[in-house]
Amino acid sequence: MAVAVPASAIPPPEALSPPPATATVAAALTDANVRVTSDFRGARIVLYGAIFDPAAHPSDVVVLVRGPEQPVRITRKQRVFGLWLNSRPVVFRGAPGFYRAASNRPLDDIANFGVLRRLGAGVDHLAINAPAEQTTETRYGVRDMVVNRLGSDYYDWRTAVVRLKEKAHLYEEDEHGVRFVDRGLFRAEIALPTGAPTGVYRADIILFQGGKPVSIRARTLTVEKVGVARALYVLAHDRPWSYGLASMAFALAAGWAASAAFRRD
Amino acid sequence: MDIYLPIAEVAVNAPLIVGLGALVGFISGMFGIGGGFLMTPLLVFFGIPAPVAVSSMANHVAASSMSSVIAYSRRKAVDLRMGGVLAAGGVVGAFLGVELFRLLRLLGQADLVVSLSYLLFLGVIGGLMLMESLGAILRRRRGEATPPRRDRRPVWLYGLPLKMRFPRSRLYISVIPPLVLGAFVGVLSAIMGVGGGFILVPAMVYILRMPAGMVVGTSLFQIIITTALTGVLQAGRNQTVDIVLATLLLVGGVIGAQLGARASSRFRAEELRAILALIVLLVGLRMGLGLFLRPDEPFVLMSGMG
Repeated sequence: MAVAVPASAIPPPEALSPPPATATVAAALTDANVRVTSDFRGARIVLYGAIFDPAAHPSDVVVLVRGPEQPVRITRKQRVFGLWLNSRPVVFRGAPGFYRAASNRPLDDIANFGVLRRLGAGVDHLAINAPAEQTTETRYGVRDMVVNRLGSDYYDWRTAVVRLKEKAHLYEEDEHGVRFVDRGLFRAEIALPTGAPTGVYRADIILFQGGKPVSIRARTLTVEKVGVARALYVLAHDRPWSYGLASMAFALAAGWAASAAFRRD
Repeated sequence: MDIYLPIAEVAVNAPLIVGLGALVGFISGMFGIGGGFLMTPLLVFFGIPAPVAVSSMANHVAASSMSSVIAYSRRKAVDLRMGGVLAAGGVVGAFLGVELFRLLRLLGQADLVVSLSYLLFLGVIGGLMLMESLGAILRRRRGEATPPRRDRRPVWLYGLPLKMRFPRSRLYISVIPPLVLGAFVGVLSAIMGVGGGFILVPAMVYILRMPAGMVVGTSLFQIIITTALTGVLQAGRNQTVDIVLATLLLVGGVIGAQLGARASSRFRAEELRAILALIVLLVGLRMGLGLFLRPDEPFVLMSGMG
């Protein structure tokens, strides 16, 4: 299903650069419903797209895939009396559970800092934010939890969030993730790691000409886990007590069975 | 052969985990302990999130204890009455422990408390056991007689009210010390992901002065009840029990436990205690080490948004 982005989402073209507004991009997902099985191999999002530009200007394509938002709780080890202890946890809002910026060449070559920042293109430009005021709230029954605003350390914390997410392969920039397979025709392939969250993902396909975004398409897709593993996960979270009783009964029965099997009379 | 763990949400090598289960099960059967103190750190080392490792261990410890306790009960080496009193304390302790663990996770201090508990309890117990067993081995090598065991039980054991007879253990003592001991072990079982045998066994020998033949079977009995409850509570309250992980572990664990129980008859008691003490001490020091070394990555993402 095609979802056109409202015009207001596209940054206004600047006066000095006149790329023709006639160029447009179209894209389609090979499968808008990604089903992840328990072995979790080969789960990937594949997207094809085409550029329609009569003037055939040099074009760049950036595909941004964002997973459902997951607040990030992060702590920092601090040395207290010779021991390395966790600091108070800090909560970052606005962080997608999954993020890929795939492009046909490095993002910094495609557009400048300001443009990338406005579009949220690239891990450094993600809108993981801390509001201006420091607020301490009571959350989850814990008092004085600091939400956002970290003063001069803010940059360290923010890069740590991105670094740790990159380590888990949840955030990534892939400067060769978009390949032109023919004139005006491109293909992007995005691999999903084991820890990728389930839910509704959004893919923004952005056409750049002369360093400016000239056309944007958005597609949504659903990532769901299927199979035995998923069924167990759902059971463990929806009926935790039955699940706990059943798994313990199973464990005790297995112990008893092993003892009976090894019995020497 | 990788297998995906649905609750831990990581993929692990299945033969490796089964092998770990067998190794720890062997140690468990050999020494008459649950082996959780060894398994939980190993799982964390192999990339299982600590809350899932701690909770799923309860299932594994219950299964391997079940598999060994039957052999002990056939030999009439289980004091059911003492086990019941210990377990009553253990039930209270397990409830407290699961809630405490939940709070610590939310505060972000679960790993500190886990590391400190390991360092403290394993370090102290391992150290004491090592000294005692090395002393016994040396005395035997030199051909010295064992010093007469101070069979006088501590006075406070008799001074306390609520006395009860434990005919199997030939004891007539207050129920308060076993209740407190059981509760303490129950809390540890929830926080450290252990059965608590490494504390129960020495405490039953040195504090309650139970006959050596009754100690292991009775401690296993109490461990089954406490860990069975802990496992269900962890699943119900924290949703951190991974049945696939627990199954992989217990497949190896129950087999290893049977083999270990047979191997144990080939060693002398004090030699067994010395080996166990070394293992306990090493695990405790290794877990505590992380508190003193500068971490490579100062930032840690935390799970459990509530």
